[in-house]
Amino acid sequence: MQQHMVTHDTDVGALPHGKATSPVLVYAILAIATVFEVGITLFAGIPRTVAVPLLLSLSFVKASLVALYYMHLRYEKVIYGLVFVAPAAFAIFLITILLSG
Amino acid sequence: MNQSPVLSNADANVSGVSGASAESQLNRKFGFWLFLSSELLIFCGLIGAFLVTKHYATSWPSSKQLSIWLVSINTFLLLTSSLTVVLGIDNIRQNKQRKLALYILASALLGVLFLGGQAIEYQHLIFTEHFGFGDSFGTAFFTLTGLHGLHVLVGVLWAVAVALRARHGAFSARNYTTVEMFGLYWHFVDLVWILIFTIVYLI
Repeated sequence: MQQHMVTHDTDVGALPHGKATSPVLVYAILAIATVFEVGITLFAGIPRTVAVPLLLSLSFVKASLVALYYMHLRYEKVIYGLVFVAPAAFAIFLITILLSG
Repeated sequence: MNQSPVLSNADANVSGVSGASAESQLNRKFGFWLFLSSELLIFCGLIGAFLVTKHYATSWPSSKQLSIWLVSINTFLLLTSSLTVVLGIDNIRQNKQRKLALYILASALLGVLFLGGQAIEYQHLIFTEHFGFGDSFGTAFFTLTGLHGLHVLVGVLWAVAVALRARHGAFSARNYTTVEMFGLYWHFVDLVWILIFTIVYLI
């Protein structure tokens, strides 16, 4: 094998062939969740104290689905997830302190 | 040989890949995750600034003033573009270069439509609702969504470059790291939009 030939990450431990969750299924969940979000905002007479945590939860679930299944963090090394999420978690902590002050 | 902290000995010997090549591959990928992490921090800072500005503002536009229907369509465009990127990568893993090029071009087109929608939204906010950088909402809103739009534009240009290279046979089932890097970037832009959509437009 030529030394300079680039071989893909799947060969060095990432997404195993044939085991990935269907991207169409993930897309369907994302789309339905988005419809729910818009519906909650525009139509449902849900009190703001309930609507805001609900919308934030839906958004968190959607973002997690993208990170886990589209960005393949579900199948990747834990260190990639830590590198990506840990600083953001710290930022969210700081934002929470700012808003509660 | 010094091993990378992100690469185990077992990883380096899979599929006949030389240790040095596999290590280089994983270091590149690790570096890209570090880049995405720094990008996420930038957006967290701007989202935080937006929330704090909103918290202390005396007046703030409602969801309906923010063209929620147009933005919802834009959200679907971006979600769909992420799906086409995933399908493109699935195809190159089966050595289908032509389909990769088509799916990535479809993503680029959806990205352009997203930017078109954003331009219409900006036109409405600036000329009909009279928001701008002179008021607190306009400053926080245009900085955050404008930076995201800039990322979409970069993604569109990158997508076109990837599609052109795919048409010239630059990728294969064993050589598509560049495509995967582009995919990570595009999904990241989608992920950030999911957060912006909820925080800026819905709550």
